[in-house]
Amino acid sequence: MSTRVITAGTAVPGPDETSTLPHPSAPRHDRQRFQKASLPLLFPAAALLIVLFLAPIAYSFYLGFTNLKLTGATARHHRFTGLANVHRLISDGVFHESLYLTAIFVVGSGVVMTTVVALAMAVAMQRAPAAVSGVVGIVVMIAYMIPPVTIAIMWVAAGTPGGVITMLVGQSQADILHTYPMLLVSAANAWSLTGLAMLLFSAALRNIPADIVEAAQLENAGAIQRFTRITLPLLKPTIVTTVLLISLMSLANFAIVFLMTGGGPGTATMILPVYSYQQGFFFNDLAYGALIGNITVVITTIFSALFVRFSRRDS
Amino acid sequence: MSTATISTTADSPDEAARVRPKRLNSEKVVSTLILVVVGIIFVAPLLWLFFSAVDANASARLEWPHFTFKNFTDAASDDNLRALLNSAYISVVATVVATVPATMAAYTFSRHHIPWKGPLLLFILMLSGVPVSIMIIPLYEQYLKLGLLSLVPAAVFLGVTSLPFEIWMIKNFIDSVPTELEEAARLEGANTTQILVRVITPMALPGIAAAAIFGFINAWGNFLVPLVLIPAAEQAPSPVALYGFFGGQVIRFGQVAAYSIMYSVPILILYLAMARLFRGGFTLGGAIRG
Repeated sequence: MSTRVITAGTAVPGPDETSTLPHPSAPRHDRQRFQKASLPLLFPAAALLIVLFLAPIAYSFYLGFTNLKLTGATARHHRFTGLANVHRLISDGVFHESLYLTAIFVVGSGVVMTTVVALAMAVAMQRAPAAVSGVVGIVVMIAYMIPPVTIAIMWVAAGTPGGVITMLVGQSQADILHTYPMLLVSAANAWSLTGLAMLLFSAALRNIPADIVEAAQLENAGAIQRFTRITLPLLKPTIVTTVLLISLMSLANFAIVFLMTGGGPGTATMILPVYSYQQGFFFNDLAYGALIGNITVVITTIFSALFVRFSRRDS
Repeated sequence: MSTATISTTADSPDEAARVRPKRLNSEKVVSTLILVVVGIIFVAPLLWLFFSAVDANASARLEWPHFTFKNFTDAASDDNLRALLNSAYISVVATVVATVPATMAAYTFSRHHIPWKGPLLLFILMLSGVPVSIMIIPLYEQYLKLGLLSLVPAAVFLGVTSLPFEIWMIKNFIDSVPTELEEAARLEGANTTQILVRVITPMALPGIAAAAIFGFINAWGNFLVPLVLIPAAEQAPSPVALYGFFGGQVIRFGQVAAYSIMYSVPILILYLAMARLFRGGFTLGGAIRG
């Protein structure tokens, strides 16, 4: 961008010296000082983000230390209760389970299922006939585009006795929604995110220079060797950023789990966002729900920061 | 391509020619097999959805339908159609709330000098990763106090949740728009508003439209925000209406499937539009050549 500005200016040897400009009246993109014109342009976005994005998060951190309820006396007049909620959280068995289940869900569904299937597909699509790759690619992308509520409906049907998944595993009487609920919601989440991961992997695979692969073929490297020695190392940055992105999106995929199981049966699929909602709006304990939400914010912020860091290094 | 390289360099071209196609074929077979298996797993739930929607006695089973359109006419009840309209209303409001401020901010980030621009942009990118569900309790409390628990305020919030990512999408697009036209306009005495509206917006329209579609899809698909922030049943959008289908003793799969299709197809069309816009976006270079 900076080179463009220099060529636009009229033969000024030192483009950073504003005092030597031949036409002070001719405006140029001033990269040195803050322009007043920036303020009104930035104001709407900044105001909206501060009032409806940052303030709610900050307020949520405060609410986590109060006794706010959904109904009753403390619904209107809550007060600061210090670390009472935190003490409760530390000894809350369901919260401990929820942390563990969230890790299982994000790692199992996002990292293992989504990433492995997407990577295998992206590699296979380079070698399979174009017609097969095209059709399967379209199907997987449709799965990615479908809204979460529809996905939940499809997967509830698929997991009930006689449903599609029971049919595919050959046990049509199995009630997977009740016997393996975490596996089913994880599969539904992976099903919905694989398309995105596949797209990112396919783009990265296309950027691998063909001559490296050809050189390896000349050396009689087998398919597996080429994959582990060339493809995987070259794809590593993309894999890292994709894993982080899919993890973030899995954490945000509240609707699929909530609609399919509501966190149950029992607490079998009670991931953090669902537990936060349940405490807040089923058990009327908004403050405690906010505190659980805040734990989720801390976790996502770590993932987000890592994602930003790795994707910057990537590009 | 690779076979040609082999035959000119290998010591015994005959042998190479004999071995290589075989290996390529086995790779091709394994690849095709992987894709077919994955494809079946991915297509099965979709097939169920489409078959059930037109099946007179639809169940959770995947079976050849007894064709009927009654599921669609049943699903198109007044309440359900109103829910679709509510979804459209919410999504349009959210799209405008997100896209107009995002375009203004994106232009500023792309062209003006802003202190701490890099860290600010990274911060905005990080915000786009924050799950909406964690803001719902504080927002519910505030909206309740201010009497804002209804359709439009919920839509405004949904717009704000798309804002960080839309700023990024549009900024990246404006970065690729050449500055020459803008400089020419400035020499003619155009002010910043005129440049933004008359020069930047038309040039960056594919990027802005793609961002707007992202905002629309984001609002259309969200379930939790309308569930909590819109208590009035007559204002509820389609995802909440679909949630109502779960409530009964028996899920009427045919109707659910039909309504799910009515609700999901607009999103598929918008995604196709977005893909087209992005392809158009990268051939923008011609604008300054004339």
